[in-house]
Amino acid sequence: MENLKQRKLRTSLTTLGVVIGITAIIGLASLGEGFRIEMKSRMQQGFELDNLTIIPGSLFAGLSPQRFFDSDVQKISEVSGVQTVTQVMQLGNVTLYNGNKTTQAFVATAVNFTEFIKVFPDRFVFDGESPNAYGNDTIIIGYKVNHPNETETTSPFATAHDNVTMTLLVTQQALPFYRLENHTFTTGGVLQERGTPGITNFDYWVFIPLETAREIYKKEESDLIFVRVTDSSQSERVAKDIEAMFPPFRITILIPLTFIRQVDNILSIVQLFLMAVASISLLVAGIGIMNIMTVSVMERTREIGILKAIGAKSRTVLAMFLAEAVLIGLMGGIIGLFTGYGLSYGLAFALTGLIQPQQNTTFQNPETHPLTITPVFSFEWTVAAFVFAILICIIFALYPARKASKLNPVEALRYE
Amino acid sequence: MAAILGVQGVKKSYRMGRVAVPALCGVSFEVKNGEFLTIFGPSGSGKSTLLHLMGGLDRPDEGKILIDGVDILELSDSTLADLRLNKIGFVFQFFNLLPRLTALKNVELPLAIAGASEGETIERARQTLELVGLKARENHRPAELSGGEQQRVAIARALITNPKIILADEPTGNLDTKTGWEIVQLMKKLNGEKGQTLIVITHDPSIAEAADRIIYLRDGLVERVKEVSRGSQR
Repeated sequence: MENLKQRKLRTSLTTLGVVIGITAIIGLASLGEGFRIEMKSRMQQGFELDNLTIIPGSLFAGLSPQRFFDSDVQKISEVSGVQTVTQVMQLGNVTLYNGNKTTQAFVATAVNFTEFIKVFPDRFVFDGESPNAYGNDTIIIGYKVNHPNETETTSPFATAHDNVTMTLLVTQQALPFYRLENHTFTTGGVLQERGTPGITNFDYWVFIPLETAREIYKKEESDLIFVRVTDSSQSERVAKDIEAMFPPFRITILIPLTFIRQVDNILSIVQLFLMAVASISLLVAGIGIMNIMTVSVMERTREIGILKAIGAKSRTVLAMFLAEAVLIGLMGGIIGLFTGYGLSYGLAFALTGLIQPQQNTTFQNPETHPLTITPVFSFEWTVAAFVFAILICIIFALYPARKASKLNPVEALRYE
Repeated sequence: MAAILGVQGVKKSYRMGRVAVPALCGVSFEVKNGEFLTIFGPSGSGKSTLLHLMGGLDRPDEGKILIDGVDILELSDSTLADLRLNKIGFVFQFFNLLPRLTALKNVELPLAIAGASEGETIERARQTLELVGLKARENHRPAELSGGEQQRVAIARALITNPKIILADEPTGNLDTKTGWEIVQLMKKLNGEKGQTLIVITHDPSIAEAADRIIYLRDGLVERVKEVSRGSQR
């Protein structure tokens, strides 16, 4: 203790090394955790965790031309954990007319309204009147389809009860193998703006009844199946069960939970990697300790000789030098913990509100809220970093301390 | 009187590069419990080497060193260290105090190493400093003390564990004549009062004569032994 006090500058600089190392590690751990948690919560808010999307074919084995049939839907509905199953037909890009007004829908889709609303309850929310019944000519229009020019305050394309005409591309046997058909529908309602809470954005869609589409297209196949599970935490198990009912590569199931977990894993790996890099600075501090300890031993050779002559054992001398190293580790560790957490809280405060997510990925709450990172105080990391600091100090002090303890007292006493 | 320390046929050489330089070539004698013995000889006679061996700071190449009947060659380093702590006290020519500690703390050192409690240590250190007449200077660092005062501190440090043997290597070598003489008188007084065996190495004949017995060493061998005619009380 006495010796450390006397060499204040030297001790301070060595301790500084440890402080920097611990600050870096703790800062990264704390901020990194906070960032991960924020990301995860955003994804959980964003993705509809209760829904599975089933696509025909496999991305790896080539998207299959096979589609889905009622029998498939029936099979899936029998899987335990499945609350609702619904199939949809995708009708492609369409143009709509309402009197002299015209608009385009990116996707026209044919659904079973009752089932569909059960699967997407949060997204099927109406702007203005909502339909009390769905007839076989009902059309539901997405927000952006109804308000194509966001900037101008023009009147919407349609309101409830308006008759709109949709041009559909229908295949035929004779040349040229397709024709354009106009079909009229009655507007059941217009959906509120919702953005992209997952991979789809209903704002750009229009919806017509599945039965009607089947009549128009003269086929009973569907293009997509949506499944709502009763318990989102079971979604992976349910997906596996569904997959087992089909031949391999026949279907692909998109599971939000899996995706979130994968992203979280990646973030976690990145975080650990950064902390490992930060640890390098601690190693450098350790080398610094070895350096000054070696010098210290040399300077105190005579002193060690005296101590041994008085009756100090080798291990007493060893313990003496190691104790000094441990002290440096303790001081550096404690200060480093404070600066580390201080830095992470400070940075989080400074960064909050600075990073805005992109505009087209608004989440379930229509207003965009900026990225807020709350740094995490983790007890495990605190203890681990502290122990790591002390361990590094001991390990790097070991060599010089051992050299000190093994000095021959007679020679040491002669040392000038 | 029992022999507290025995030297039997001790030989020791040092390696200087490729040459082995013999320091002791076969030394044998006994030290009686409580006596004041000086080992007298010119520079290079092997006196310091002999002292180091007697104190267990080093081991002989050949022969035996018996302390209280135990051959130190048979002891481990750790046990030897304990021996030095409890049974032996060293006083050196160049004082060998720790420069960053006060006089009091320097004296406390052996007890601190032995693991004694703080309160007990300070008290005993004070008493021992008083014995050597330096109570007033207990908070001074060695740099603030004169040569004579430093040597007194060293003596106090050597005494604090109540060792059976005090080994002094040219204790007056770095002091002026008057101070040197005072130191020797102090040591002799303590020897008389406390009954510790005192072995002093010196090349100063006047100091040698202060002892009970003188061993004359030359070229690594005992030349002769002389009983000083002034009788000692033991």
